Amino acid sequence: MVQELQRPVRVDDSFDRRVMVRVRRIYAERRHRGIVGWLAAAANVTRRPAWAAALAAGVVAVVSLSVLKKSPSTVPANGQAIPVQFVLVAPDAHSVAVVGDFNNWGLNDTALVAENHDGVWSVSAPVHTGVHRYAFLVNGKQWVADPTAPRAADDDFGQPSSALVVEASTQ
Amino acid sequence: MDSSDAALVARVLHGEVNAYSALVSRYRDKYARYAVHMLGNREDAEEALQDAFTRAYRSLARCEDPERFGAWLFRILVNRCRTSGARRVRRGQTFVHDETALLNASEEHPAEQTMWREEIERALGELSADQREAFLLKYVEELGYDEMAEITGVGVSALKMRVMRACDRLRVLLREVHSA
Repeated sequence: MVQELQRPVRVDDSFDRRVMVRVRRIYAERRHRGIVGWLAAAANVTRRPAWAAALAAGVVAVVSLSVLKKSPSTVPANGQAIPVQFVLVAPDAHSVAVVGDFNNWGLNDTALVAENHDGVWSVSAPVHTGVHRYAFLVNGKQWVADPTAPRAADDDFGQPSSALVVEASTQ
Repeated sequence: MDSSDAALVARVLHGEVNAYSALVSRYRDKYARYAVHMLGNREDAEEALQDAFTRAYRSLARCEDPERFGAWLFRILVNRCRTSGARRVRRGQTFVHDETALLNASEEHPAEQTMWREEIERALGELSADQREAFLLKYVEELGYDEMAEITGVGVSALKMRVMRACDRLRVLLREVHSA
């Protein structure tokens, strides 16, 4: 009986095509959203648990110094993007970038700089009015939500991100 | 080029989406067998399998051990079959024995063997979903109880009980066929 049940069940070749149509559609949607690069970063994260632990320690330090981060600036009523300062304290990091929908999740587009080599990384980046999602990418591999900002709802990848609301000036 | 599961997963995660088709080809037939026996008809089985592959792609970054992509995918499929099975029960759909048997039939097998296969599928369909799942994982997929527990989230003792009851029930059902 078991031998009969163990006989292979063949699926016709059109099955592969149907699956790949779905997969390519998902890929295209993600690419449109500019987060394909995040997938690669996520893969690196999941394979480096030691990294995660080290970073977790770094995040504790961030919280205590997070007052250095300015609140999102308001923008003029004409909608022109104005600088928003992002700050992350990560003493052990070699590089930090901010990635978000405002820079199309570009992994290398908005690097933070630690000017005084004291672990305080910052950058000013132009952001338009509206609700945005972003995170920090540390050493090109590990991303973390901004500990000083509200967490954004989880996306498909289960990676942390923060919510940023930039409002037009009421003055 | 390295065609291990881990290498293919890494290529997909770095944007080489076509590498995923190699994973689909590698696992589709193997896992189709489980889905067909579990759900009892080709349509539901293929839908569950397609859905499992799609879900796996969506969540690929969460696959903590890409070397064991197959095991991870199988867990997704088992869950998907449970959902599909529950939905089918709600729809009041019956287990389609004959279609499953015909899937495995070929011209080189005599009619008696096809009939015997039909009876096996019919008996399998008489089991509760829990018992059928446990029996298939244990004897058809040849998993150990620890692996089964990991996949199903059910304790080893409960799984052993389900397998034992499934075997008892199948023995009775198939004996009835022979004595008829």
